[in-house]
Amino acid sequence: MMHRRRIVVAAAAFAALAALLTGCVQSSSSSTTTSGGGLADGSTVLRVLAGSEVKDMLPILAQAEKAIGVKVELDYIGTLDGTEEVASGGAKGKYDATWFPNNRYLSLLPGASSAIGTSVKIMSSPVVFGLRQSVARKLGWDTKPPTWAELSAAASAGDFTYGMTNPAASNSGFSALVSVATALSGTGTSLTDADITTVTPQMATFFSGQKLTAGSSGFLADKFSADPTSVDGIINYESVLKGLKIKGEPISIITPTDGVVTSDYPLTLLNSASAAKKPLFTKLTNWLRTTKIQKEIATQTHRRPGVPGIYTGNEFPKTIAFETPFPNTLDVANTLIAVYLDAARPPAQTLFVLDTSGSMEGSRLESLQQALKNLAGADTSTTGSFAEFANRERVTLLPFNTKPGSPTTFDVPQDNKDAVLAQIRDYTDQLMADGNTDIYSTLKKAYGIALQQQTERPGTIVSIVLMTDGENNQGISESDFEKYFTSLGADGKAIPTYVVLFGDANVDELTKLATATGGTTFDALNGDLASAFQAIRGYQ
Amino acid sequence: MSATAKRGIAIGLAVLLIVGIVFAIFGGRLFGASKSAGGGPLTVVTGVIGSEKAPFFADAGVKKIFASKGYDVEVTTAGSRQIATSVNLKGVDFVFPSSAPAAQKIKLETGASTTFAPFYSPMAIATFKPIVQLLSAAGIANQDATGTWHLDIAKYLQAVAAGTRWNQLPGAANLYNSSRSILISSTDIRQSNSAAMYLAIASYVANNDSVVDSQADEDALIDQAGSLFLEQGFSASSSEEPFDDYLSQGIGSKPMVMIYEAQFLGEEMSAQKSAITPDMVLMYPDPTVFSKHTVVPLTKAGTAIGQLLVDDPKLAKLEAIYGFRPANASVFKDALTEHKLAVPPLPVNVIDPPSYETLESMIEQISTRYDSPGASATPTPGTTTDPSPSPTPPQ
Repeated sequence: MMHRRRIVVAAAAFAALAALLTGCVQSSSSSTTTSGGGLADGSTVLRVLAGSEVKDMLPILAQAEKAIGVKVELDYIGTLDGTEEVASGGAKGKYDATWFPNNRYLSLLPGASSAIGTSVKIMSSPVVFGLRQSVARKLGWDTKPPTWAELSAAASAGDFTYGMTNPAASNSGFSALVSVATALSGTGTSLTDADITTVTPQMATFFSGQKLTAGSSGFLADKFSADPTSVDGIINYESVLKGLKIKGEPISIITPTDGVVTSDYPLTLLNSASAAKKPLFTKLTNWLRTTKIQKEIATQTHRRPGVPGIYTGNEFPKTIAFETPFPNTLDVANTLIAVYLDAARPPAQTLFVLDTSGSMEGSRLESLQQALKNLAGADTSTTGSFAEFANRERVTLLPFNTKPGSPTTFDVPQDNKDAVLAQIRDYTDQLMADGNTDIYSTLKKAYGIALQQQTERPGTIVSIVLMTDGENNQGISESDFEKYFTSLGADGKAIPTYVVLFGDANVDELTKLATATGGTTFDALNGDLASAFQAIRGYQ
Repeated sequence: MSATAKRGIAIGLAVLLIVGIVFAIFGGRLFGASKSAGGGPLTVVTGVIGSEKAPFFADAGVKKIFASKGYDVEVTTAGSRQIATSVNLKGVDFVFPSSAPAAQKIKLETGASTTFAPFYSPMAIATFKPIVQLLSAAGIANQDATGTWHLDIAKYLQAVAAGTRWNQLPGAANLYNSSRSILISSTDIRQSNSAAMYLAIASYVANNDSVVDSQADEDALIDQAGSLFLEQGFSASSSEEPFDDYLSQGIGSKPMVMIYEAQFLGEEMSAQKSAITPDMVLMYPDPTVFSKHTVVPLTKAGTAIGQLLVDDPKLAKLEAIYGFRPANASVFKDALTEHKLAVPPLPVNVIDPPSYETLESMIEQISTRYDSPGASATPTPGTTTDPSPSPTPPQ
């Protein structure tokens, strides 16, 4: 978990796209991330701050050391989070280069464009649909790919459902959002603020088919792979979809005919890199662009070559993928995300199961209160506003200690949410810590409430957050809960629990629990609850 | 892949100029181990140049020729607009912007007594066969007797103003069935000279075929001209990037890109395998404008470099191989012929760019329409401020 958010965000404009982040989300299982820790340097080492997407390049990069004597050290970070790091100057001295899915975000941020030097595009992958083949065939899309408007019509008619990552958290979700909004606006040119206002109702129609969300492209793909019947398909990088193994049925890749946004993976030298790193950078980029390596990239990572004229056989479709124009201002990007969250996406119903046992007394409780208040309007940065409880969202707070407490539900209205957010902040102030820790009875109760809310408001995205700082020592056991969960129908099993690991939480047990429910864990063991809560918002 | 990347250049595009220059001067002088042909140490000469010339200066052959004359030329890159307005030129021996108006401006500001224009390059459009077919059927593009394609800018501007989509052109279903508006991709008008040259062309045509030279002219056409840039959405800051996308991502990404002719020809003559495929077409805007790459020397050494670039026949040949047109037309012709390439005829319908001040004023007006503060061009740290504008005669 990173702390850069505190350092940064002076100008509002700056915070804007930076706010797209949450790439700092890390489940405890992906322990490969060491961002911020600093990479070992050396005369043959190129230290690269990279999007988590390029993790699949490791085997190829390993060859580089043998072939050309350049050792590449990678730190992974979400694209947008990494952008913020570069723009704020945080990458200076720690890294020699960056490797994100694209540099467009970077270029929109003041300060960032002067921080980067030469960039060399290595490979590319458009953000497209992957649908179960039977669904694609039924809709005729396997032979005649649809427009975004046709996709929208089919989604609203209930002909298919899909998952997409949260555009405030993930590059693939944001890319899809740009494509769909631009296409539905029908102007044929780059999106403007005025277009977004006009197109909001059509966007809501399209997103009525969204049944699954996630904070990262990888998590979304894993989730679809684990339960391919939960939705009919997902929006993701072509490269991820081509590599996806789904039980029972192949995936049809559907490229909307009126435009997609392509990631072009520019390997980019930072201007702050020492002169000695430049030859390493040049050597590496030249090598990555050799025909042999370009072919390996295509076959191993399913990305399109960055070098023209590389023969890739039938790996990629011959049809033209039309590129959607990307917004040219931060303002348009921000408005688009805000409209998605507050008006276009299916509303969220989120339950927070909050440990208020005796061990939370003092600074831990204060951290929890602050983390919740940040989501209820206390964090006024643009970053914070994207994580804020959104219009139309239903928020239920369920505290527990020796026993489950009573739930309090807040319905954020469609328009002015200030009053309700103030109520949530007031409620938070009244939380008190005392007693034992009854995790599982409370979680069971939470599922009961969540199921009821799901019935009350169908078409919403329901999830549970469990925050605990200790071990279960009251009420039913973990295995009792597991039995209960297993007994639930498909509706209940579709509700994930995201676990915030805090204080002396039982990491192994809770990780198992999160995974079993289709959720994941968020590490706040270092005490940074606010960042964890903000990161979770990408998954709700 | 661009000629640049192919030739293995490691020159920064958006360079922290000061750092670069300081290193070039001190780093180069302190650590410069190179020796001249006579065995003596080379004189390090520093230049600030437009990025499209970086591959040329990094070429081993070019370096060798300079070394044989006793020079080690170190360059950093900056947009031509930046060079003219915001780059600190202290300690720099010469600047080499991509346009005559920018060079004139720098000449006036620095008090340089002379300039050298060793080569030029017409503005051109990199496109594809299906696109010229479509545009030709719609009467927007035409092919002359030599087989060279031209884009009728007046008709193009009409099509853009009408919001014409590619798929509204007859025959689009089989050639380019895109619902995107017909629009040339360029670089960011706020940062790059090639976009400014595109504006020079469009404003001339929008101004009833005359060079814009009054505020009234500007006001009348700025909406139309601005939309050519704003409606593109995100655009890159250096001329190499959109051409790179054209080469690697192709027709779906960049059906038409405003480039320097040299970029396309240089790629065709690339020492490595050219990325130009048979369905790629070099088209010329009608009218077009010449980008006159002009050296403004700031020191004696800078003058020597400018002189060499003009006079040295071996350098001229390399300039031609990088696609530029040296003053001596036969050098250009020979280079293409040696590479078994057709020699594109020199465009005849060529306009003058507006004065530096008029061009700047139009760019400023368009810049304000990118309404986000974050989208405005960021000044280079440690730069000098722009002194009061002085009139510059049109080229």
